[in-house]
Amino acid sequence: MNMKYITNRIKIHFLLIVSAMVVLTSCNKDLEQFPVAPVVQGTTPTIATLLDGADLTIFKAAVTRAGLMPTLAAPTLRHTLFAPTDAAMTASGLSLAVVNAIPLTSLVPLVQYHIVPQTITTSSIPSTFPNFSYPTIFNPAPPLSALLRLNTFPSTRNGNWVNNIPMTATNITAVNGVMHKLALVTAPPSRYVWDRINTDADLTLFKAVIQRGDQGSTPATNLQGIMGNIGANLTVFAPSNLAIKQLIFVLSGGLVPIASPDAVFIGFINSSLPAASAKGIAFYHVMGVRAFSNNFPTTATSYNTLLNSAIPTHPGVRLVCTFTGPGVSAASVKGAANATASNIAINPTPDPGGTSDQHFLNSTLHKIDQVLLPQ
Amino acid sequence: MRKVTSYLVTFLLANIITIAAIAQNVTINGNVKNSSTNEGSGAVSVIVKGEDIGTFTDDKGNFRITVKKLPVTLLISSVGYELQEVTVSDASKTVEVSFKPTNILGQEVVVAANRVPQKIMESPVTIERISAANIRNSPVASYYDVVTTIKGVDVTTSSLTFKTPTTRGFNSSGNTRFNQLVDGMDNQAPGLNFSVGAIIGLSELDVDNIELLSGASSALYGAGGMNGTLLMTSKNPFKYQGLSFLIKEGLMHTGSTSQREPSAYHNWNMRWGKKVSEKFAFKINAELLQAKDWQGRDYRNYQRAATGGSVKAGTRATDPNYDGINVYGDETTAEIRSAVLNSIAVQAPWLRNFIDTLNGGAPINVSRTGYTEKEVTNPNTVNFKLAGSLHYKVTPHTEAILAAYWGTGSTVYTGSERYSLKDFKMGQYKLEVNNRYWSLRAYTTQENAGESYNTTVATRLFNESWAPSGGATGWFSRYSQTYLGGRLNGLTNDAAHSLARSTVDVGRPAAGSAQFIKAYDSIRKKPIKDGGALLLDKSDLYSAEGTYNWSHLTGKWVDLLLGASYKQYVLNSEGTLFADSTGRIKISEYGAYLQASRQIMDRVNITVSGRYDKNENFKGRITPRATALVKLKENVNFRVSYQTAYRFPSNQQQFINLAVGSNVRLIGGDKSFRSFFNFGGNPIYDYDALRQGNIVAFTPQDLKPESLSSFEAGLKGLLMQGKLLIDVYGYYGTYKDFLGRKVTVQKIGGGTIALSDTLNGYRYSIPVNSTDKVKTYGFGLGIDYRLPLNFTIGANVASDILKDVPSNFVAYFNAPKYKANASFGNSGFGPGKRLGFNVAYRYQGAFLYQGDFATGNLPVVQTLDAQISLKLPKANKSIIKLGAQNLLNQYYYNAIGNSQIGGLYYLSFGYNIY
Repeated sequence: MNMKYITNRIKIHFLLIVSAMVVLTSCNKDLEQFPVAPVVQGTTPTIATLLDGADLTIFKAAVTRAGLMPTLAAPTLRHTLFAPTDAAMTASGLSLAVVNAIPLTSLVPLVQYHIVPQTITTSSIPSTFPNFSYPTIFNPAPPLSALLRLNTFPSTRNGNWVNNIPMTATNITAVNGVMHKLALVTAPPSRYVWDRINTDADLTLFKAVIQRGDQGSTPATNLQGIMGNIGANLTVFAPSNLAIKQLIFVLSGGLVPIASPDAVFIGFINSSLPAASAKGIAFYHVMGVRAFSNNFPTTATSYNTLLNSAIPTHPGVRLVCTFTGPGVSAASVKGAANATASNIAINPTPDPGGTSDQHFLNSTLHKIDQVLLPQ
Repeated sequence: MRKVTSYLVTFLLANIITIAAIAQNVTINGNVKNSSTNEGSGAVSVIVKGEDIGTFTDDKGNFRITVKKLPVTLLISSVGYELQEVTVSDASKTVEVSFKPTNILGQEVVVAANRVPQKIMESPVTIERISAANIRNSPVASYYDVVTTIKGVDVTTSSLTFKTPTTRGFNSSGNTRFNQLVDGMDNQAPGLNFSVGAIIGLSELDVDNIELLSGASSALYGAGGMNGTLLMTSKNPFKYQGLSFLIKEGLMHTGSTSQREPSAYHNWNMRWGKKVSEKFAFKINAELLQAKDWQGRDYRNYQRAATGGSVKAGTRATDPNYDGINVYGDETTAEIRSAVLNSIAVQAPWLRNFIDTLNGGAPINVSRTGYTEKEVTNPNTVNFKLAGSLHYKVTPHTEAILAAYWGTGSTVYTGSERYSLKDFKMGQYKLEVNNRYWSLRAYTTQENAGESYNTTVATRLFNESWAPSGGATGWFSRYSQTYLGGRLNGLTNDAAHSLARSTVDVGRPAAGSAQFIKAYDSIRKKPIKDGGALLLDKSDLYSAEGTYNWSHLTGKWVDLLLGASYKQYVLNSEGTLFADSTGRIKISEYGAYLQASRQIMDRVNITVSGRYDKNENFKGRITPRATALVKLKENVNFRVSYQTAYRFPSNQQQFINLAVGSNVRLIGGDKSFRSFFNFGGNPIYDYDALRQGNIVAFTPQDLKPESLSSFEAGLKGLLMQGKLLIDVYGYYGTYKDFLGRKVTVQKIGGGTIALSDTLNGYRYSIPVNSTDKVKTYGFGLGIDYRLPLNFTIGANVASDILKDVPSNFVAYFNAPKYKANASFGNSGFGPGKRLGFNVAYRYQGAFLYQGDFATGNLPVVQTLDAQISLKLPKANKSIIKLGAQNLLNQYYYNAIGNSQIGGLYYLSFGYNIY
């Protein structure tokens, strides 16, 4: 073995060793990253394109005229559209001609009230009493607050509903949201519940009871004030004048005949009905949630009223409704001391014409035929 | 006691005077040359055979020695050369010695293993030695990095100049289980509790050798040496003389994956050693390093938890609560539903259900927008070291040394957060007297954290300075309102978050802008106690120790070594790090040790050691050690040992009081914290248990020192006529009273603790002793082989394994199952044997890195270093070296959140390098 042989062998080993080192080293890993799942998202259909449906031509025209088609077409936004079908629009008195004729100041809120700014499938709408409250994109008073929104009240109790309007088709998905079809238009409220009580000729005695109960308290905290507050969310069971007259007739031992003028009953309320009693009665007719009749249970069940804020253990009122076909045919509310339930006069014609499911900015109102007695 | 002291002084003086009485009258002049290069060989030992007289050659190879009479025989020796005997009978002529390099392994002498010089082949415990020649031939840019090539060593790299080695697991940035001694002085920063490694300490030209004791070593070196002790020894000016300098100019941050524009690396070294006379010598050293540092650029999302966080999916764009590992300021987080949106829902009840359903009803956590490490850390890293010593030989065998080591620098360190150590200063000053039988040493370490600051805290405070997080008009309130408005306008969740962030970050100062710099500087320069991020650590250490080797009196029966030491820490952070706002905290430790060894049956040497240490805050601790060395045949030795080690809870574990980024306050284990934070009146609870819904009261216990018992066996053999060196070891260790931390929670204002308090309550991280025993075992195997023509090849592999780890126990083991090194090189070949080269490969297996700053999986790391060198002819040992550290520029990191290291390429010129 001569020196040249050794030198050559060393050279070969050197090259092999260095080569091996280079190969081994040339693979340091960079920071271990989490795999990002590719987002596969098409561009159609959008909610706007869903409006191309043959049964949605009137509402599509309304959306287009209201200038809200871009909102429903934007792929980066997420909305839920409650779309009244042509039949629904027509049944609500909104033919294509009407839609094209009514002022935009009325049309835009109407359409906006049918749009919720997030994707809500029916599976995400609870079926618990009474419903769920989602803001629409309609801000009735932007100067008051940029965050002000008029709410809508979907529910999956006893079917699929928005307020008291049934959905006729659900979960029609788009890349930017979802659409549900409605059987009727859900008109946005424009008045407070107090406005109705204050102006309804059949509720003057209920108004008197409320005001009698409010005596001595400030408008910020009294019931009248609450009923005129945008932040409230109520259900009012409003006894008709006749119902209150019948009660006063009993309370007065027959001294105030039912045929007496309203002023006599108002006088009785203000002079003979203690303010605390009036307040208790008034509060007992109001729930702190907003319930449409279709949200009622089909088996009588007790729910709290505002009276429970003073008497937490009070059993509240018992609600029940009956469905005939898709709609509510009967509903009642029973006071704890009443022998029988008070019936809600079923007539869901929108305020001010109806007597049930009257929808206001801060409440629903149902007229009843018997005063609810808490004890 | 006074009488004993008097006897001791008399005894020592007798030693000095007796030795000084030796008469000398014939002077021999000589010169030693390297037979290959014909250059003078410096630092060569010249001893008169049969007598107690010796000297060293100077940097030119010259020596001068005075003897009583002629003829005499001189023994000329140096590691790496053949021993030569030269008979001198005529002093009128210069003795010329041609010194022949040799290529035999295992010649080194080590001191660390038994605190007395012995051949490395005969060390009874695992020890490694790095010589100045190893450093000279290494491809790495810093001598400190040579340690990483030793078998069984793990390194955590915080930055270019801040590296922390250890052996047998439990590494971290700033390891407190691994002692580092520089010329006998503990170079741990007394307050910050980490060894400063090469930042303060020896300059490269002044390193004589580095010895590494793997594993437990407290029996000889006191508290702290749980996982090893690194001893760095400088060059004695009596032996190493002359002016030397070394200039390295390099390039960093190259290639397409670099962190910044390519930048220069400057490293200048100077050493001047002068033997003024046979009695007096001195040396001066200086080193300057300047470069643009490596940076932490791990921008992965981190799930910060009080204990054991983890990397998670998400980015700033996809996760509103993004908390990047090396992004700071984004640790400030809030759950905006409870913090803001619910209040909006009260004012705007029509939004109640909408708010409740946002984000699917899940918490909406949002973090402030952070800044990357690159944006808030000065990239300029500087390290300047200045050292000098005066050496006076009271007698030929008694040398007094007055030495000073001082350094300053800016670097980055990873603790519970990333810290910018800016203008950090540390000085060590010692007076030492060494006799061949005894030694006395007194030294002090003076630390000044300079303008060091916590980057996380500084950046969070910076965010507060330009936009406060809380309040009705605060960042989170405005963010929440914009987010809510976006959602009400139909924006997707991500888009609404994006809109909110871009809206509220309007006016956010851009990194590097004048506004940013001014505001950031005012925060980082303001002490923590005043609402800033500045650490005001000026802690000190005072130490005195002595040893006496009784072997010259007792050697017939047993070799006996006795030593004692005293330390006092003076903690002074002015309330910015420790609970010392009312005054400095003093902690004293003292200890003593005894070692006895005896040769039995010619082939077996038994050594038994014992050490007692007492810290004023803890009970005393005895650490025994027993070793046996069995000589199987010439240069083949089997060793077995039982060693123990312990460490007192560090100063920080006793007295730290520091709020850190994850809304946790680190506190010490000292009893005073319990009353200060009213744990008696308002109890604390197990944080992790509470998060699981279980209320478990936590009662702080007095801390105990952590201890380790370790068995080790090994074999070191020199085979094939000295060409093949094999060293193999295996060990098994048991840790007891393991020191860790426990996060607890206390309800603000008292009362019944609840799940919500895990978010809202006070969180304290308290040091605790684990009741479980943790076991480790492993092995190491190293092979070095001398090929013909001075070629060398070496390889080593080591394994460390942790077992019996209780569930939910964060051990911070931080060691791969396997690590390996391989090298191939030649220190002199070609014409005049002036060429040299070395190629080194390192492999580190993957493992889960656990750190207080961040925890995550570390991938396999492989690096390749290489150098080629040329010794210039007739230029007094001048060397030009072209080197590359991480030659292939494969970026790697060895701790989560630490700097990522790329290639460093340099060209160096060294003058009078030996």
